[in-house]
Amino acid sequence: MRVAGPLATALGELLRSMADDEFVIGFSDSEWTGIAPLLEEDVAISSLAQDEIGHAAALYGLLGGLTGEDPDAIAYDRVPAAYRHCRLLDHGRGDWAMTIARRYLYDTADGVRLEALVAGSWPPLADLVGKLAREERYHRMHAAVWLDRLARGGDGTRSRLLAALATLGPDAATVFAPLPDEAALIDAGILSLPMADLEARWRASIAPAFATLDLPLPPSARDPARGRLDHGEPFSWLWREFNTVRAAEPGATW
Amino acid sequence: MQHGGSVMAPDRELATHYARELFGRRQESVRLWVVRRADIVDLADPDLLQPPLDRSFKKPGGYVMRDKLAAARELSGQAKPKARSR
Repeated sequence: MRVAGPLATALGELLRSMADDEFVIGFSDSEWTGIAPLLEEDVAISSLAQDEIGHAAALYGLLGGLTGEDPDAIAYDRVPAAYRHCRLLDHGRGDWAMTIARRYLYDTADGVRLEALVAGSWPPLADLVGKLAREERYHRMHAAVWLDRLARGGDGTRSRLLAALATLGPDAATVFAPLPDEAALIDAGILSLPMADLEARWRASIAPAFATLDLPLPPSARDPARGRLDHGEPFSWLWREFNTVRAAEPGATW
Repeated sequence: MQHGGSVMAPDRELATHYARELFGRRQESVRLWVVRRADIVDLADPDLLQPPLDRSFKKPGGYVMRDKLAAARELSGQAKPKARSR
């Protein structure tokens, strides 16, 4: 299947949104390296963060193949406003409850998104998604175990989780912010359903766990059309962090 | 089956995740068995594992086959097989 013209643009937007999501959550989670709540979790969250950066690298690779750009340049050399990750990932690392709430909301949503792409008609993406899905299954298991622990925890544990969900919940559905020209992707068979339908599927998938743990389901996203725009100060800070080495000597080979 | 190591975790689910990360994230494992410390039976009694009497007769090294093989070859007229060249 040849991809060109408007379809290539739409596919590029999809790849950019997915790659930026993985890149940003990977870097956010890597901030726990050395300071996670326990030694074993330090290894686990760091390894998981590396997985996400690996997924981002693979997705930037596909995008670079499409646009002719260097994947590293796409990942690092844009201004913050040109990133297309969802607003859910724009809150800064926060405490452990924020990290778990963000991971749970993102991983469950990402899982639904991957399902809608794995049988797609563009083989490079469908093949990659099949591999990503195998790793993401473990990420979801990890987040689910922790969500359960925090929700049932006492001594301020549950209240911290509730505070995190109150902060992140209103932005959770931005993973499914409509993409520019997503109709072209659906017509071409690359994406199986519109993002709005995937959001409904995601809500149904998390409802049982939220009911069991008596947690409030995320509300609808405010201004979903801008769900992947308007990154605030926490992202500007993260952008400076992950660009430190690259910016130290532009064009250098490390 | 080989002892991979130990992890500290608050419950079995997290123990399994941590075991996977500590002993499987570099694809060095094909399977992991995760058990609680309390469920491990520790057998360390030397009388049961390292008895004092000579047990060399239980090891295959106790039988020297070389001379018997040479005699059998001579009897059958077969030459000793050469080391295989690559």
